[in-house]
Amino acid sequence: MHSSGFFLNDVAGFLGGYYTFLALMNGIAAFILWRKKNAPGWALVWSVFAGVMMILASLALSASKSMVPALPMAVRSLVNSLSGPVLYTLGTTALFTGLFVFRKFFVQPMVAWSVLNFTLLLLGLSMADENFAAIVMKPDNVPIVGLVYLLAFFTWVATKQAVVNDERIKQGLPVVEKVNDEKVLVWPDLVYTELICMVGVSALLLVWALFLPAPLEEPASSVKTPNPSKAPWYFLGLQEMLVYFDPWYAGVVLPSLVVFGLMAMPYLDFNKKGNGYYSIEERKFSYLVYQFGFFELWITLIILGTFLRGPNWNFFGPFEYWTPYKVEVLNNVDLPQMFWVQWLNQPLPRAPQDAGVLSQIGFIFLREAPGLLIMGVYLVVLPPLMAVTIFRGFYAKMGFIRYMVMSNLMLLMLTLPLKMILRWTVNLKYIISIPEFSLNF
Amino acid sequence: MAEKKKMSVADILAAARADKQSAPDAEKPAAKPEVASADSSPAEPSGVEAAPVSAGSSERPSVSDILAMARSGKGKPVEEPKKSAAPAAKQPTAKKAVAAKQPVVSGAKKNVQRDTASILEAARAGTKPGPVSKSEAPGFSKPTAKPAVKKAAKAPPPPVPPRPVRQKSEKAAKAGAAKTGASEDRRGFLAYTVGSFMAVGFTALSVTGGLFSMGLARFFFPNVLAEPPSSFKVGSKEGFPSGVVETKFVAQYGVWVVNADFEGVQQIYALKTVCTHLGCTPNWLEAEQKFKCPCHGSGFYKDGINFEGPAPRPLERYAIKIADDGQLEIDKSKSFQEELGQWNDPASYVTA
Repeated sequence: MHSSGFFLNDVAGFLGGYYTFLALMNGIAAFILWRKKNAPGWALVWSVFAGVMMILASLALSASKSMVPALPMAVRSLVNSLSGPVLYTLGTTALFTGLFVFRKFFVQPMVAWSVLNFTLLLLGLSMADENFAAIVMKPDNVPIVGLVYLLAFFTWVATKQAVVNDERIKQGLPVVEKVNDEKVLVWPDLVYTELICMVGVSALLLVWALFLPAPLEEPASSVKTPNPSKAPWYFLGLQEMLVYFDPWYAGVVLPSLVVFGLMAMPYLDFNKKGNGYYSIEERKFSYLVYQFGFFELWITLIILGTFLRGPNWNFFGPFEYWTPYKVEVLNNVDLPQMFWVQWLNQPLPRAPQDAGVLSQIGFIFLREAPGLLIMGVYLVVLPPLMAVTIFRGFYAKMGFIRYMVMSNLMLLMLTLPLKMILRWTVNLKYIISIPEFSLNF
Repeated sequence: MAEKKKMSVADILAAARADKQSAPDAEKPAAKPEVASADSSPAEPSGVEAAPVSAGSSERPSVSDILAMARSGKGKPVEEPKKSAAPAAKQPTAKKAVAAKQPVVSGAKKNVQRDTASILEAARAGTKPGPVSKSEAPGFSKPTAKPAVKKAAKAPPPPVPPRPVRQKSEKAAKAGAAKTGASEDRRGFLAYTVGSFMAVGFTALSVTGGLFSMGLARFFFPNVLAEPPSSFKVGSKEGFPSGVVETKFVAQYGVWVVNADFEGVQQIYALKTVCTHLGCTPNWLEAEQKFKCPCHGSGFYKDGINFEGPAPRPLERYAIKIADDGQLEIDKSKSFQEELGQWNDPASYVTA
């Protein structure tokens, strides 16, 4: 949208190097496939791809507006107009579901390599967009790009081993970890590896700090908040939660519950399988709950907070200019307001002016009755109900206390996505809203 | 040590008795296979220990030797030289060690009087075979008396003779105590000085801590506060035309002065620039006629009522009044919250 000659001059060198790197990477991959893996077909595919990357590199280095490879404007506009918190969340959920369901397909090295190349190519093409580059190449945000790829890689490695193990278990064979149980010594094998990693990471950080220095901003002032004001990247998930909850819940209760829940895991887990080896089939419930909590409720929120939340914490498409004047209608109301005013068409129950403290509290309870009822049903009635229906086997194996802890932790975890959905669909602000005592839920 | 466990009671007794009768040759063939199997068994914890024995297999120590070693309670000390010597030159040293050991053991044997119970006791004691009875100990332990005495105390001996060593030490202690009042004084002096050092140290620590706490308490009540006064004047009413949000006092005082309609009354009021969600400073967006918080997207109308984002309650108002000179005076020491019904307080606004 704002593509100017200056920007293209700046980014051309980077893009040229980037595409050359992609070409080199695929060239090496093709060589290994050809000589070591004996797969000349794939080798041919990736060497052709490497050739294309070399062409893109030379085009990018031209730094001319008509030559630098970029996504068509129509595609960018479409992406911008489609993207929003709802689509983002639903899209990532669908993506993770797809990756999980078709994991046998996606763990194949050539498929994973294709996906990696596709995303890297997409990143390169998007980088030619000034607005996209301005966000992604910000020194603060570069690590998040690294995080996305690192996480994808490690998840792929683990999933691959799990898929192989599941296949072996199905065939009645021992798991890979049992077969290859060669042990190495802590000294010198591990300690040397750690030493080398330490030196390598220090060198990397040094180079990084030289080339991507941390931004220095204006002096802090208690009456001037930067716009947008962002938490450190690892707390952006928390900041996103705070959009939907009161600070005491999203900032204190939920994070404590995350820590508590992680600590409780070994005591709640009654499944003795999957100990010391990767497996998904044998621990499907644990795997899915953990991955949902980690990827959907933490990582995607970090990515959302880093790349897609702009001034005034509005949602911006990936190719959108971050203007602080974007108008978004986000009006929302509390449940009591909705219940009494919109549905029953009567004013909120309010204590008379000269009422005593007890009477005021009584009126507050009356006002919040629908919300309290909903939360009561959710946290008190639902666990036993689940115990006799969907979690019958769990309840039998875990016993009362462990089951209750597990089900309540799970329900509290699910308050986040449920609250997000309620905010998007019916513009609900708080289910229980007692601003008199700063108690909102 | 493992090989001892493997021997049956009969073997041990037989070996012991045969030894006593000084006819070991008769028993050797019977005991040997047992020992050999024990040597080669994988249960043997360390190869080093087994090595010398198997190396000198032709001159393997007889069962009686092993037993004697066990009884002597110095199985380890005796084996020690053997172990250290083994890597250097296996065959000859192993032989020598065995040879060197034998005289000691046989010499000891002659002095020692043994009964079945004590032999068995020692053998069963397994890992820590001490001398069988206390009377044995001095006979064995001429070269190294101390360990033998210690072991003797641990083993369960049938006859317990008087303990000369202990009596001696008691006597010595008594004698020492009686003789050297000087040494007690020395100790006393030491305790006195150390004690006083501790006392001085802790006194100093507590005094310092107390002074520090007092200083800290004083720190919270400074003589001069480098803060703008909580009460300040912003000019006359005419400077705030209807419908305008005045943002020029935000940087210095943290207030917006607004002249707007609230519940049908045209009022001038001072809004606190602190978001009621998490305390960021919202921005006034003139085009959209709203306050918008950059942290989590809370939005407030011109009158301070929250309508979007997570802010749970309206912005707060500061006290405002018309001062004697006709100027508007805002007092930040008092704030008014809408949800508590405080905006009806006439101190929270000035009628425009």
